[in-house]
Amino acid sequence: MYRRKRTTVARSRAATPWRVIRRVPAAAWVCTLVAVLNAASWSFIVPPFQVTDEPDHFAYVKQLAETGNGPQLSAPNTYGPEEFYALKALRYTSIRLRAGAAAIFSEAEQHDLEVGLQTHRSPASTTGNAGTATDEPPLYYALESIPYTLDLSGNLLERLQLMRLLSALLGGLTALFTFLFLREALPGVRWAWTVGTLGVALSPMFAMMSGAVNPDAMLFAVSAAIFYCLSRAFRCGLTKGSAIATGASIAIGFATKLSFLGLAPGAFLALAILATRGWRTAGRQGLRAPAIAALIAASPAVAYVAAKVLTSRHPFALATSAIHDLHGSLLNRANYIWQLYLPRLPGTRNDFPGLSSTRQIWFDGYVGKFGWLDTAFPGWVYTTALVVAVAIAGLLLHELVASRASLRARAGELAAYAAISLGMMALIGLSSYLVYPQKFAEYGQVRYLLPLLPLLAVIFALAARGAGRRWGPTAATLIVILFFAHDLFGQLQTIARFYG
Amino acid sequence: MKRVRITLALALAIGLAVVVVAVLSESPLTVIAKNDAAGMETSLGWTKITDTRICQEDETVPGGTIAIRFSLYALTGPPVEASVLYGDRTVALGERGSGWTGASVTVPIREVARSISPVTLCLAATTTAEPMQVLGTYTGRQTAAYEGPGEALGGRMKIVYLGRGHDSWLSLTPYVARHMGLGRAWSGTWVAVLVLALMLAGLGLISALVLREFDV
Repeated sequence: MYRRKRTTVARSRAATPWRVIRRVPAAAWVCTLVAVLNAASWSFIVPPFQVTDEPDHFAYVKQLAETGNGPQLSAPNTYGPEEFYALKALRYTSIRLRAGAAAIFSEAEQHDLEVGLQTHRSPASTTGNAGTATDEPPLYYALESIPYTLDLSGNLLERLQLMRLLSALLGGLTALFTFLFLREALPGVRWAWTVGTLGVALSPMFAMMSGAVNPDAMLFAVSAAIFYCLSRAFRCGLTKGSAIATGASIAIGFATKLSFLGLAPGAFLALAILATRGWRTAGRQGLRAPAIAALIAASPAVAYVAAKVLTSRHPFALATSAIHDLHGSLLNRANYIWQLYLPRLPGTRNDFPGLSSTRQIWFDGYVGKFGWLDTAFPGWVYTTALVVAVAIAGLLLHELVASRASLRARAGELAAYAAISLGMMALIGLSSYLVYPQKFAEYGQVRYLLPLLPLLAVIFALAARGAGRRWGPTAATLIVILFFAHDLFGQLQTIARFYG
Repeated sequence: MKRVRITLALALAIGLAVVVVAVLSESPLTVIAKNDAAGMETSLGWTKITDTRICQEDETVPGGTIAIRFSLYALTGPPVEASVLYGDRTVALGERGSGWTGASVTVPIREVARSISPVTLCLAATTTAEPMQVLGTYTGRQTAAYEGPGEALGGRMKIVYLGRGHDSWLSLTPYVARHMGLGRAWSGTWVAVLVLALMLAGLGLISALVLREFDV
């Protein structure tokens, strides 16, 4: 009886993509538009190449769009003449990381820049290196090749701006999928979905990264899509259609950015939990959809290994090199990763002396460290943000206590989300540990955790609900205006730093 | 429900007032003076990890200084304490918490009323997780910055003295708007106007959404 009911529900909810799109509420589209506008605004605020690693990602796109080949580690690690000129004319190295240095500010410099960009135009060489981006998978860069090629006659800065706008569209997708995720994960209170989604759309760090040329922008969207697919699967069961969508989202993640490897184990665990549920309710038949999802999800990894084997290269060279570089005992590594996020435990070595990583790296980082992390708010902003965060945490706790019974019923789903989060955190920790102690928190940058933004949206939504039925909408209004103010102050701070 | 409308109107009004009064009426920090090492910036060496104290003699702190910017690079900088010494006497003190990133750290100090010279500037960090790179220009050992007695660095550290500007952000708006239009694709002041329009459009959409979704 139960089995039949679930299958019927699953079938009735199966729909064509067009029908799915038509069922998306208007509020979701508005949130999407807000995210796109916000990221687009950031894309016009931050000077070219003054976002983390943007020169490298641009170099990758240029290489791919103009030669059809990705960059190679064996090539000389220098930018092509055109990008090299642009960086020099924009005084990139004297501005980057130097809080007192403003962007170029005279008409004469602007004139020289425009003339120089025309005279220094040059095609990418057949083999090129893209610095830190060289190892990344090509999907995001292939997408960015479209705006790059659209304006091939324009100068480098025009192409860069168009590429930034494509990232802004991906930012909109992140908001859309976050809304849909909240609708599945927290059914019942409609307005809470809007609060959570606007919390993401108006996050200044998210908007800044989504207004830059960086595969993080696509990873955020893919991650939000995976959260949506999984929450839908946990709520309605995995149909053939939703299995294909889930598998495809995971596969796209693999092709987007290497750091997706941190999210993948949790996503596969979710499929395993869904398979177990399917087996319990429908026997072998219940395993079909999770198997389809897993097969599609694993396909890029399989294709990658096959391609490496066919070209006589070591398929796991990156992984073996990373394992080889790992130093210290397992306990030391675990201790380091723990302390990268949380206060150290009594009796353990202090790997972060003079620093509260929870507060200074992650909390302050989320509140805002813009550009190349060199543009910060005045100290009082972080303190005020902490007070707001405590209030939000209080409301969240209230709501969690009130809905603890339903939490218990969703233990499997919550375990999957926890695994996704922990996987990401462990990957960041291990990557940082590879270069520790020369650099003690190389990957201690909040952007690496932003693929988990949909979970933060859940926190915002629950906190708004925590204010109760009577005061909830009022609290929600306040929270949303606070989000907007935070974003606006971030923009003003960045404008002051670069153009003041 | 009236409550949502009132909250929205109040929040927007207060927000606007804060932006105009607290932010735009403020004057930005401006550079009053730079020391003699403010030319080409090179690495002078790395600090120790524990009990770092870098000092530099023969500096002049101009009157009106409210912050000093030291040229040190760190990815996640430690808490630092700056002191201005005139002979043995400490004439100004300031501190900055950890977590700063970049090639300089700005430490606020109590306003120095009039120019003081010669002074020794010291920057101390008791605990650091990573060494900091000192930036400046090469000089002889006699005039170089030092980290502890006899441990001269490669030269003098670049130091910038900051004071409060005379113009408010509001009066600087046209200048900032012009500046925003430079160094990018399709240059022009319209870039600032576009950014403003994008944010106003966003605010309009958010307000409409709040009234539609929350006004239950």
